[in-house]
Amino acid sequence: MELHELSVQETHELLASRKISAEELTRVYLERIQRLDPKIKSYVTVPEELVLEQARDADQRLKTGEGLTPLTGIPYAAKDSLSTRGVRTTCSSRILENYKPFYDCTAIRKLKSTGAVLLGKNNMDEFGMGSSTENSGFFTTRNPWNFDHVPGGSSGGSAAAVAAGLAPFTLGEDTGGSVRMPASFCGVTGLKTTYGRVSRYGLLPLVSSFDTIGPMAHSAYDVALVLEAIAGHDPKDSTSRIESIQPYSEILKKTENLRGLRIGIPKEYFVEGLDPEMDASLRAAIKQLEGLGAQAVEVSLPHTQYAIPVYYLILFAEASSNLAKYDGIRFGLSERNVEGLLDVYLKTREKGFGAETKRRIMLGTFALSAGYYDAYYLKAQKVRTLIRQDFEKAFETCDALITPVAPTTAFRIGEKITNPLDMYLSDVFVVAVNLAGIPALSVPCGISKGLPIGMQIMGPHLSEEMLLRIGYMYQSQTDWHTKHPPCWND
Amino acid sequence: MSQKEEVKVDEKLVREIASLARLDLTDEETKTFVPQFQDILKYFSILNELDTENVPPAYLSSANKSVTREDEVEESVPTREFLANAPQAKDDYVIIPRVHIEQ
Repeated sequence: MELHELSVQETHELLASRKISAEELTRVYLERIQRLDPKIKSYVTVPEELVLEQARDADQRLKTGEGLTPLTGIPYAAKDSLSTRGVRTTCSSRILENYKPFYDCTAIRKLKSTGAVLLGKNNMDEFGMGSSTENSGFFTTRNPWNFDHVPGGSSGGSAAAVAAGLAPFTLGEDTGGSVRMPASFCGVTGLKTTYGRVSRYGLLPLVSSFDTIGPMAHSAYDVALVLEAIAGHDPKDSTSRIESIQPYSEILKKTENLRGLRIGIPKEYFVEGLDPEMDASLRAAIKQLEGLGAQAVEVSLPHTQYAIPVYYLILFAEASSNLAKYDGIRFGLSERNVEGLLDVYLKTREKGFGAETKRRIMLGTFALSAGYYDAYYLKAQKVRTLIRQDFEKAFETCDALITPVAPTTAFRIGEKITNPLDMYLSDVFVVAVNLAGIPALSVPCGISKGLPIGMQIMGPHLSEEMLLRIGYMYQSQTDWHTKHPPCWND
Repeated sequence: MSQKEEVKVDEKLVREIASLARLDLTDEETKTFVPQFQDILKYFSILNELDTENVPPAYLSSANKSVTREDEVEESVPTREFLANAPQAKDDYVIIPRVHIEQ
């Protein structure tokens, strides 16, 4: 068995017993990245010297045994919207092509303190705006299962890197499905955390009221190990939750079944247009959960069809405001060969932003402008209340909800890029979760025509422990999460 | 604007928004955005089916109330380090081009 084929837990055992060194392990991943990533394009930056330096530091810790954690010496990668001190952080935008933050975001700082080894930064849709990574200012990431298909987005690089064995786990960021959708398209396990469960300090924002950082890995168990390390209250993020975190991985080890659990099947998520093979895979997965002792009940989330317009209107508005800081004055690209200050703004933004980013800034500026605010932004915030109430009501009769992650498997590169509305509609099953701020887990539950299918498990605020338990038990009975794309063995 | 009224998107409106958003769009971009914005806003008008007269807006995502902390002096990032990313800086300041241009 090759080293990249091991789980985080198995790799930890080899490191802790000193059968392998962190440097040796890290070199395996660097070599794979060098050899395979030119085809997959999941990384934007790999700071090789710094990577090896971290690995040697980890080896010191493994040698003395001091401060040893389950992640000491384990390599990982992060979406390029997470600030990394001294390592280029671009959000896959030309406007930040050479930006090197002078501090780490809290999630990265916490992983650093465990001794995990940052391999590099992953490609994404520019500033998180997209569902395919085709909106990256640099290049499109390929789906490791089929290079003609997208990996999903916006954390597409982070999902593809895990799927292709180019990192054992990654940190993604989910604003409206950006962890779950690529996880599902690439056949990996991805967690969208409760809003505020992981600090957003140092995360370059897209939509401040939706953004969440979450892990992607090969199993619910590995996701739990990472969540333990990055979650928790942070005085630097006033929206981070003060409730203490749970020993997620310990709880999983003690879990034996799902008896007493009520899972809701929202009828609005199983509608015409859902791929029949996907429908069949999900029905089979629900049967598996019932076999583990869960009880399935039909529920309704009546405002589901309004989630897309609500999500996008709020996104346009918040994003246009968040991206106002990219103006060529304090950091990032700056066009200085111009007439005066106004021209610096205009030329820098015209040159630095891609088409989708401009489109969304424009629509947000419109939705917030005088005369239109009530009809668009305020209306969306009101319907958001109704969508949130749908979930509150559903969770009165069940503990968790099971739905598809996307209406289809990974679509072809180029298929939706010329029609923005069509691309937006591919997010139909994932965005409501962000409107409500609740957590959701995406786990592989089938394969259709060589491409993975994902199941989404949603729960109330701070129910990560339960979601991971459901994912863990499901994965103890099935082997979809152990299936790999052809390039896995390259 | 009444909620039932449909917005007519034309090049003039797109140019006005671009100016507010500080984007110097090309003619081609402007032309492409017109039908795209029309389609998107038309689809989004399904929200008008819902009566939200008595529904409060939901601005916050978490259950947290507004959080404040003690106002204590802490060490922060040295200005020089912060300014290392500035396109142009001198001493502790960023440099910008002239604000007013003589016609």
